[in-house]
Amino acid sequence: MARVAVTGAGVISPLGESLAEFHRSLRAGRSAIRRLAPELTERTGVQVAAPLDWDPAAHFKESEAASLDRASQFALAAAGQAIADSGLKIEDDNRVRIGVSWGTGMGGAHTQEASYQQVYGAGEWRVRPLTVVMGMNNAPGSNVAVRHGLRGPFANFSTACSSSAMALGEAMRQIAAGRADAMIAGGCEALLTPGILVAWQALRTLAPADAADPAASCKPFDKRRAGLVLGEGAAAFVLEEESRARARGARIYALLTGYGNSCDAVHMSRPDRAGQVRAMQEALAEARLAPQDVGYINAHGTATAVGDRVEAEAINAVFGDAAREVRVSSTKSLHGHLLGGSGAIEFAATLLALEGVLPPTGFLDQPDPACALRHVARSAERVDPPRAVMSNSFAFGGSNVVLVAERP
Amino acid sequence: MDTLARIRQLAAKEFSINPDGLDPSAPLDTLGIDSLSFIEFMFKVEEEFGVNVSDEDLKAIKTLSDLERQVAAALSAAGKV
Repeated sequence: MARVAVTGAGVISPLGESLAEFHRSLRAGRSAIRRLAPELTERTGVQVAAPLDWDPAAHFKESEAASLDRASQFALAAAGQAIADSGLKIEDDNRVRIGVSWGTGMGGAHTQEASYQQVYGAGEWRVRPLTVVMGMNNAPGSNVAVRHGLRGPFANFSTACSSSAMALGEAMRQIAAGRADAMIAGGCEALLTPGILVAWQALRTLAPADAADPAASCKPFDKRRAGLVLGEGAAAFVLEEESRARARGARIYALLTGYGNSCDAVHMSRPDRAGQVRAMQEALAEARLAPQDVGYINAHGTATAVGDRVEAEAINAVFGDAAREVRVSSTKSLHGHLLGGSGAIEFAATLLALEGVLPPTGFLDQPDPACALRHVARSAERVDPPRAVMSNSFAFGGSNVVLVAERP
Repeated sequence: MDTLARIRQLAAKEFSINPDGLDPSAPLDTLGIDSLSFIEFMFKVEEEFGVNVSDEDLKAIKTLSDLERQVAAALSAAGKV
C-alpha cells in the first residue's frame, strides 16, 4: 500500500498565523486564552476563550471577504499556506488527481447566526442571498477546492471534535488506495458567536476564568481542571503519495502511517474508554508500530473532569509498561479547543514533537493522580526526536480518531 | 446622485472594480458578475433604494442599464420619484 507524506502545512490559530509562529508559541508555552468582552460575558456567562485577532483585509479583497464566512476565510488562508509551503504545482494535468478532505463542526456558524439574528432578532424576514452557500457545512472545504481548482476526491467530515482528524485520516486512505496523488486535508472552526457561546455555557463544560491569570484557565490533567475553553482557527496539510513527493524533491515533515477510527456508541457526550482504546490500537496496528515506538501523544485532553481521566486510563490500557515512557500533553491549554479544527491544529503540534521539541500542557502544576501519565508539564521538553507520535481526537457523539505520524 | 451613478458605485464596491471602467451597457457576465453574485448584489440594491424587484423583472436584467430601468420603474411604482 502507498505511503503518505506530509509535505506542506498551514496554520491560522490563536497562537500564530503560520506553522512556524504556532510552533514558536508552543515552544514558549504561551497561551492565547483571554477574557471575553465584558458585555459578551454578561450575556452568555462565558468568561474566557482563545479568539483570533483576524484581519480579513490582510488576506482578501473586501468584496471577497464579504462573501466568505469567517470559517471559510480561515480555511482558505491555512490551505493557501500549506500549498505554497509544499511547492506542489497544481496544473491542468494533475488537478483531477488532487482532492480536498476537510473537517468542521459547524461550518459557517457566523453566517447562520447573522441570518437568525436578522429574522428573529431584528424581525426582518429578509436575509442575504449568499446565506446558504456561505453558511453550509461544506463551504470551507469547497472554497479551498474552488480557489485552487482541485478536482479530485472531495469530502467534508463533521463529527464534532474529531472532524479534522478524520479528514486527515480519510485523505490518507484516498491516497493509499490510489484514488488521489495528493490531498489538501485539514479543518477549521469559527463559532465564537453569542448564540453558540451561550449554548456551550448551557452544557456546563466551559472553564471559568482563572482569577489570577485568565491565560491559565484551561488546565488539562490538573487536579484543579474546570473544563474546556473554546478557540477558533484552522490548519491544513498537503498529503502526497510518498514516492511522488520524493521524486519531486519535496521536503517531508512526516509520514502519516496510522489512522484509527471507532465509535463508543454508548453516550452522546460521556467518553468511553473501550472506544478510545480501539482507536489507538487500530492506528498503531495500521502503522505496524509497538507502543514503545511512540515517543509523544498529543492528548485530546479537554480539561473536563471525566474526559481527562478516561483518556488517561485508555492510554495506560493501550501502552501498558510503555506508558511510563511516552510523553503526553494537551496543547488545548494554550490554543483552546478548536472543536472541528482541533484534530488538524493538534496534528500541526505533533510535527513539532517529531523534531524533538515536545509541546507542553500549560499550567499543569498539580497533576491529578487519576490521570497518571508522563506529562510534559508547563514548559516544552527537548528530547531525541521520537520515531513516532500520536494525536488523539475524541468527539461528542462518541467518535474517536487517532492519527500516528512517523519521522520521514 | 442619479440612480445609475448610485448603482455603479454599489457595483464597483461589491465587485472590487473601478466605477469608471464599468460600461452600463456591457453584459453582466463580461464584467465578471455571475448569477449568484448578481443575486447577492440585487439584495443590496434593493436595500439601497428601498424597493423590490420581482423575480420576473430580475430575469430580464442583463446589464447595469437594465438594472437602472428596473429600479427606476420600481421607485416610480412605489411613488418614490
